[in-house]
Amino acid sequence: MTEVKIGCEFHIQLNTKTKIFCSCSVSSSEEPNTNTCPTCLGLPGSKPTFNKEALNQALRVALALNCKINKKSYFSRKSYFYPDLPKNYQITQYETPVAIEGKLEGIRIKRIHLEEDPGKLMHQGAVTLVDYNRSGIPLIEVVTEPDFKTPNEVRLFLRKLTTVLEYLKVYSRKSELSIRTDANVSINNGERVEIKNITGIKPVEDALEYEIKRQEKEKNIVRETRGYDADKNITYTLRSKESEEDYGYIYDPDLPEILLNDKEINEIKNNLPELASERAIRIMKEYKINKEDAEVLTQELKLAELFEAIAKEISPLLAAKWLRRDLARVLNYNKKELHEVELEEKHLKELLKLVEEKKITDQVAGKILEKLIEKPFSPKEYVEKESLGKISSSEDLRKLCLEAIGENPKAVEDYKNGSDKALDFVVGSVMKKTKGKADAVLVKEIIKKEIK
Amino acid sequence: MKIKDQVQLIQSGKLSLKEFIKEVLKESSKINSELRCLNYLANDEAIERAEILGKKKGKLFGIPITVKDDICVKGMETTSGSTILRGYKPPFNATCVERIFNEGGIIIGKTCQDEFGFGSFNTNTSLDFERPLNPFDNERVTGGSSGGAAAFVSKAKFSTAALAESTGGSIVNPASFCGVVGLCPTYGLVSRYGLLDYANSLDKIGTIAKNVDDAELLLNVIKGFDPLDSTSIRKEGKNIKIKEIAIQKEALNVDKEIKDLILETLKKLKIKHKEVSLPLTTKYVIPTYYLIAMSEASTNLAKYSGMRYGKEEDIKGDFNEYFSKIRSTYLGREAKRRVILGTFARMAGYRDAFYIKALKARSLIIQEYKKVFKEYQVLVTPTMPLIAPKIKEINKLTPLQNYMMDILTVGPNLAGMPHLTVNAGFVSKMPTGIMFTSDHLQENSVIEMGKKVEELS
Repeated sequence: MTEVKIGCEFHIQLNTKTKIFCSCSVSSSEEPNTNTCPTCLGLPGSKPTFNKEALNQALRVALALNCKINKKSYFSRKSYFYPDLPKNYQITQYETPVAIEGKLEGIRIKRIHLEEDPGKLMHQGAVTLVDYNRSGIPLIEVVTEPDFKTPNEVRLFLRKLTTVLEYLKVYSRKSELSIRTDANVSINNGERVEIKNITGIKPVEDALEYEIKRQEKEKNIVRETRGYDADKNITYTLRSKESEEDYGYIYDPDLPEILLNDKEINEIKNNLPELASERAIRIMKEYKINKEDAEVLTQELKLAELFEAIAKEISPLLAAKWLRRDLARVLNYNKKELHEVELEEKHLKELLKLVEEKKITDQVAGKILEKLIEKPFSPKEYVEKESLGKISSSEDLRKLCLEAIGENPKAVEDYKNGSDKALDFVVGSVMKKTKGKADAVLVKEIIKKEIK
Repeated sequence: MKIKDQVQLIQSGKLSLKEFIKEVLKESSKINSELRCLNYLANDEAIERAEILGKKKGKLFGIPITVKDDICVKGMETTSGSTILRGYKPPFNATCVERIFNEGGIIIGKTCQDEFGFGSFNTNTSLDFERPLNPFDNERVTGGSSGGAAAFVSKAKFSTAALAESTGGSIVNPASFCGVVGLCPTYGLVSRYGLLDYANSLDKIGTIAKNVDDAELLLNVIKGFDPLDSTSIRKEGKNIKIKEIAIQKEALNVDKEIKDLILETLKKLKIKHKEVSLPLTTKYVIPTYYLIAMSEASTNLAKYSGMRYGKEEDIKGDFNEYFSKIRSTYLGREAKRRVILGTFARMAGYRDAFYIKALKARSLIIQEYKKVFKEYQVLVTPTMPLIAPKIKEINKLTPLQNYMMDILTVGPNLAGMPHLTVNAGFVSKMPTGIMFTSDHLQENSVIEMGKKVEELS
């Protein structure tokens, strides 16, 4: 059995309106090089000024991850030459980061620090262009201890981390999630290899799986930095340890130390929103749903909010079932995520109310849900307009059942000879005739009675 | 004529502003051909501003002001004296420049300097820049790094003052050599927004003027909190009474004539004074200062790599080769020396022994100064240990001998404390400054002492 040790550095974009050291917008939808100023372009004479909202968000994340906050922390200059780095040094935190020693999902967090993003390079054949819109976007780097034992653990951790960030409003699923990961991996206490700059969540797992297999296969593992090609799903050598850079850190003399007192830290702590894990426990008790449902429903903020809004008016068990299973099925089938569809709370509520009051069948409700994630409309009006209400007259139903029996003599015969499947076939035929508006259980009973 | 009188004269309408500025520009051009002290003479910009200066308001109304070349003036080439920045015209004004404009001042040009401020004589000029000459003796240096500023103010017959900048003594040093007043304020009192960085924790914008009043007036215009500079301070100093001043014993270990001049001046001032010793400062101030300054400078200069502004060339090879080509071609010798030494001092393995240790030493040096100012309000020293040397003598100095010239000025600079030089007299026909240093934000004290010295003559 291979013993795997993985430690990660997650670079997470914060959800501020402006950049970390200037007042330029962080909007990513603009034309290249339009959200820039002398500071984020690193023009001679410009100076950084620290965006306190970035600090606030970093502290919220740190406290949510149970970190210790440093009351005094500093910015440093990390020097290296690269065309995407306007000053050829990056403002980051080195000796004393904003927070240390946290924990999430049993994984120890070593430190969290603030830093600026460099610009973005765009390679176009022989030419490389630089877009400085990204330059100066605030990031936090969350560094873990080498506590992961499998690539899958890293992916699960990242999903949990994403949920925490979402609940803290540090990131919204509507915007493009920007998490870039540097992963350090070694097997059987061998040399440590760093895979740099993996974008997204699933690719981290893929890259690590590839890398572990590579290390198992190859005899001589050297300490090095590797890149990851997501298209080919391979890692490749970037540089060996010997040529590793010396960043020559100095304190950034343009920025004063970040000073915090207990009162400020406690205020942020006390104002932290309810987190997913806390919400799961609460809704489990409050709505008397099971633990697994509660956990799934709280994984995504919008889903949790939808559930609570609906469960206040209709049966929580029904709401939990529909949100956890049916909604998930419909979204999955359409390869969509909840935040990507215009599903309105009031419409979903209306729909489930119709189900609860037995005005429509589950089958009809399912079909309406499929339509609802395409565009918003009132299910109630739709049901009336398309007369999709459940057929409640048993006389009408009996007529349809007799019709079906008459039309399917072979199936009726089979049923009489003991085939339950044949019975289902006849029931299905009735359901088809009613476009799903009939109560299948009732139909079955009627048919059974009539055939006898 | 003092600036405030000149302002009144222009405001009274007895003097046409446009004619005055035209005359000033003509005269400036002459000064420049003699002393080579301007990197840029802003003929068109100055006249244009004289024309648009409508309301006759402002503390500097119509006054010609020069700006050291490491301070950004929108649209004017700003090179910090380096060839690598040739052609760079900033798209914004430094805060201090903006404040001068708001008070009706007229920027007439950019004054020359050692490349990026790296020098004590203004002889470390970049490839295509000339060395300025001392107005008292053209064979001698102006001092540095704000050499152009001091030489110009010294030579000009009209009312003018200069924005200068000091990292380790670059204001008082050339002011002393050129016989003018140099005033370097407390670190953070004047916004550094728009200053091309040498060593950010040490850089201070200050003034050079013909008299203490003018230096004070210009400082009052440019000082004050600026949200664009995170190290800018809001606090203000209190007015304190000068009861007793201290003379730094070790600082009298200079040319006998200079020592005698300083002691004689002190005697004439009739202020109670006493010798004090700053042993730690004397011993460690030079290495401490240069380690911090070079470490910071080596990161500041990294951005000059031929991308987006300044000198550029056809791109050949990868970015590393391109950056190296630009930097080896267009940075001067002293700039390269400081980048290499500064990079070394902050490298893993050496960082603790040099950079971090220097930071600790700086704290101790500040404490040593603070101790003096508990008992005394002002500390006095000669400004420079010698008179302006001849240019050809400089070439014989080793880099270390060069750095030792800053022994008297780097202390107050490292401590971020205000200091002022005023001419105390002449030694071998060359002007010789006396320097006053006070505690943080006690600009008033050094200004008061400067005025007392002026009254002696």
